Amino acid sequence: MENFSALFGAQADPPPPPTALGFGPGKPPPPPPPPPGGGPGTAPPPSTATAPPGADKSAAGCGPFYLMRELPGSTELTGSTNLITHYNLEHSYNKFCGKKVKEKLSNFLPDLPGMIDLPGSHDNSSLRSLIEKPPILGGSFNPITGTMLAGFRLHTGPLPEQCRLMHIQPPKKKNKHKHKQSRTQDPVPPETPSDSDHKKKKKKKEEDPERKRKKKEKKKKKNRHSPDHPGVGSSQASSSSSLR
Amino acid sequence: MAEKFDHLEEHLEKFVENIRQLGIIVSDFQPSSQAGLNQKLNFIVTGLQDIDKCRQQLHDITVPLEVFEYIDQGRNPQLYTKECLERALAKNEQVKGKIDTMKKFKSLLIQELSKVFPEDMAKYRSIRGEDHPPS
Repeated sequence: MENFSALFGAQADPPPPPTALGFGPGKPPPPPPPPPGGGPGTAPPPSTATAPPGADKSAAGCGPFYLMRELPGSTELTGSTNLITHYNLEHSYNKFCGKKVKEKLSNFLPDLPGMIDLPGSHDNSSLRSLIEKPPILGGSFNPITGTMLAGFRLHTGPLPEQCRLMHIQPPKKKNKHKHKQSRTQDPVPPETPSDSDHKKKKKKKEEDPERKRKKKEKKKKKNRHSPDHPGVGSSQASSSSSLR
Repeated sequence: MAEKFDHLEEHLEKFVENIRQLGIIVSDFQPSSQAGLNQKLNFIVTGLQDIDKCRQQLHDITVPLEVFEYIDQGRNPQLYTKECLERALAKNEQVKGKIDTMKKFKSLLIQELSKVFPEDMAKYRSIRGEDHPPS
């Protein structure tokens, strides 16, 4: 039966210990040139060079396994461990991935005035343009003195409409959302006043002619029977709603 | 760490508020509001000075450029964090799958090689310090 040694052509001539091979820890030695006759390959020529500092210790005296390297240590951090838990990021993961993060920038910066949801390229306010074309900076920020302030004397009166960008706020859908959510997510219980009112009205409309009839009947009965004998007409009036 | 950001955030909020108030003054300017305007302008200068001072404390903070793209598109930058975490987890799972598969492959290979080359594999195990083939 063939074995590894035979496959590597080193059965008859065992390879020298890897300490004499002189290759680094990460690089296998160049394969031996194939013999012209197609016979078993020759072992790599032994050299007198000493092993590099990172040479594989386990390969020393390992017989046919001269290409063997040291296994990576079990303590080494690899993708086999959950790196999110390893770096204690579960809280952040649950925070951002557990619930839906709102899409718009105004949801992240609700107190920032102006229309911040529009792309920065629209009004030339993109942060990328700050990097691509950095502003020309002076040495420091100096307060504006009296003469310089003269340049900030403005005309009286309101700004034209097209310049009133500061006052345009993104539509706040918070309240609307809440209503919509409550309507869509939680089916409105029938006890809510709005719905029950509607139903009552509908019922009223439906039952109106019947009630009128019943009321008329009541009136008739009252007229027929004196208040001293109310129990007499009970058999007749059992169907009426007043006795229920 | 958080104090640095709190400091900057505070200054930025003040600055934004000053800008907002300046906008209100300017949007319907009256001659009487000139003094207020001048004051606000100088508040903005001092605000910029304060923000500039914060730069020294934050020189070691790096911000990924992709976040800027989210902000420029009017999107919530937390979405970037979310997508980053999701990508990291997906990649983590992928790599774990590969490692597990390779481990299985290794054990199967050792198992099969032990059948064909029992002597060599015994040597191999003795070198590796594994008495039994890994399951």
